[in-house]
Amino acid sequence: MTDRPQIEAAVEAVLFAASEPVSRARLLSAFDDEEREEAAAALERVVERYAQRDDRGVVVEEVAGGLRIVTRPDLHPYLRRFFESGGRSRLSMAALETLAIVAYRQPVTAPEVQELRGVSSSGVLRTLLERRLLRIAGRKPVVGKPFLYCTSREFLLQFGLNDVRDLPPLEEFEEMMTADQADRAESRNEPREEIPSDPEGEVEA
Amino acid sequence: MRSGASPKGRAGGLLPDAWRIQLPVFEGPLDLLLHLVRVNEVEITEIPVVLICDQFHDYLALMEELDLDIAADYVYEAAQLIFIKSRMLLPRPRRGAEESEDPRENLVQRLLEYQQIKDAAQSMAEIHELRRGIWVRPPEKVEEEEEEEESLDLGDVSLFDLLGAFRKVLDRYDREHPPPLVLEGEEYSVRGQFQRILESLDGDRPLDLLQDLRGRSCRAEAVSAFLAVLELARLRLVRLHQTGEGELLLYRTERELRIEELEAIES
Repeated sequence: MTDRPQIEAAVEAVLFAASEPVSRARLLSAFDDEEREEAAAALERVVERYAQRDDRGVVVEEVAGGLRIVTRPDLHPYLRRFFESGGRSRLSMAALETLAIVAYRQPVTAPEVQELRGVSSSGVLRTLLERRLLRIAGRKPVVGKPFLYCTSREFLLQFGLNDVRDLPPLEEFEEMMTADQADRAESRNEPREEIPSDPEGEVEA
Repeated sequence: MRSGASPKGRAGGLLPDAWRIQLPVFEGPLDLLLHLVRVNEVEITEIPVVLICDQFHDYLALMEELDLDIAADYVYEAAQLIFIKSRMLLPRPRRGAEESEDPRENLVQRLLEYQQIKDAAQSMAEIHELRRGIWVRPPEKVEEEEEEEESLDLGDVSLFDLLGAFRKVLDRYDREHPPPLVLEGEEYSVRGQFQRILESLDGDRPLDLLQDLRGRSCRAEAVSAFLAVLELARLRLVRLHQTGEGELLLYRTERELRIEELEAIES
C-alpha cells in the first residue's frame, strides 16, 4: 500500500496534469479501492494547501463541477507580458445582457431574448455561440421552431460557476446595484438640474 | 407621431453641450427608457409616461441630428410609448367597480425585468473581467490507447462544432475529388477526312489504307476516315486495290471532284 505523502503527491500530480476541471470522483478513480479513502482526504489537503496565499502563483479552483489548477487572476499582467497576448477578450454589454438572459431563462429562444432586451439580438447570440458561451439545446415546438439557447460549460468556466443553479438570484444583483448606484449618484449629481420641467408631465403625476 | 418641434432646445436641455460628445451608449430603447427614468428621479413603477415619451422622442431627434442610425427597435418602442401616452391622456372608462388596468403596466413590467437583467449583466461584467486574468495550461496531447475508444462528450459539442466539422469534411472531399478534367471531344467529319485523303492522294503515290487508319488519333476519326474512303470509292475518285499481303491501296483516278458532290457529303 502506498504511503500517505505519496498519495497526496499523486493527487496533486493528477490535478496538475489534467488541464480540464476534474470531478472528485473522476480524480479518485486513479486510485485503487484501498487507497481511495486516503486519496479523498489527501485531495482536500491539496485543495487547502493551494488555497490562495500571497506567495503562490497558482490556486485550485472548483468550477464546472470539477477541480483544476489555475493562475491567480491578479497575476494577469505578468502572464500577458510573458505570452505577449491579451488573453481572453472582453464581452460587450450587449453580449453580457444576452448572456444574463439566457443564463436565467434558459432554455430560451431568440425572440424571447429580443422581447426582454427590446433589441434584436440574433447577432449577439451568434457571437456568443461562436465564443462557445452558449449552445443550442434544441428547437421550441412552436411556429417557426426557433432554436432554444442554453449556456455552455465554457460559460461556467469563464464565470467561475460550478453549475448554472449556482447563479445568484436576480434580485440579489439588484440590491448590489442599488447600493452601488447610490454611491455613484453622488458624483453624478450636477447634470440633473438640467432636466426640463415639462408641464405635460404634471398631468401624469 | 410628434414632430419633435425643437429637438435642439429640449434635448439640449436634457444633455448639456459638454455632454454631447459623450452621449451615453444605450444598449437599446429599454436602456434609454431606464436612463430617462433615472435622470428624472422617478420610480419605474411611477413612470410619468407623458414626460418620458416626449423625452424619448427628443432623444430620437437628437440621435438623428447626430447621424446615428436609429434602429427599428427604437422606433417600435417610440410607437408603444405614444400608444400608452394616448391611453393615459384619455379619461378612463368606468365600468362598475372594476379598476381599469393601468396602461403602463406592461411597460413597467418590462422595464423592471430589463433593469434586473442589466444589473446582472453589470455584475457578470465584473466577474468576467476579474476572471479574464486566469490562465490555464493548454491541454497536453495524450496519445490515445487504441483498444479503449474514447467516448466523445457530446455535451461540449455545439452546433458550430458540427458545422465546422462538416465544412472540413466537405473541404477534404473537394480536395480529394477534384473536378474531372473535361476534354473537348474532337469531332471528325466525313467530309474533312474525305478532303484529307483526297489531298494526300495528289500525285501518283498510292495510300495504304490500313496504315492510314492506324495513324488516326481515335476510333471516331478512323470511322470517319473509313466512311470517307467509301464515299471516295462510290464517287469513283479512288480505286481500291488489295495486295497479296492484304494491304489495301488507294489510287487516285482521273475523275475530278464536283463541288456539289463534296457538299453532299456529311460534314
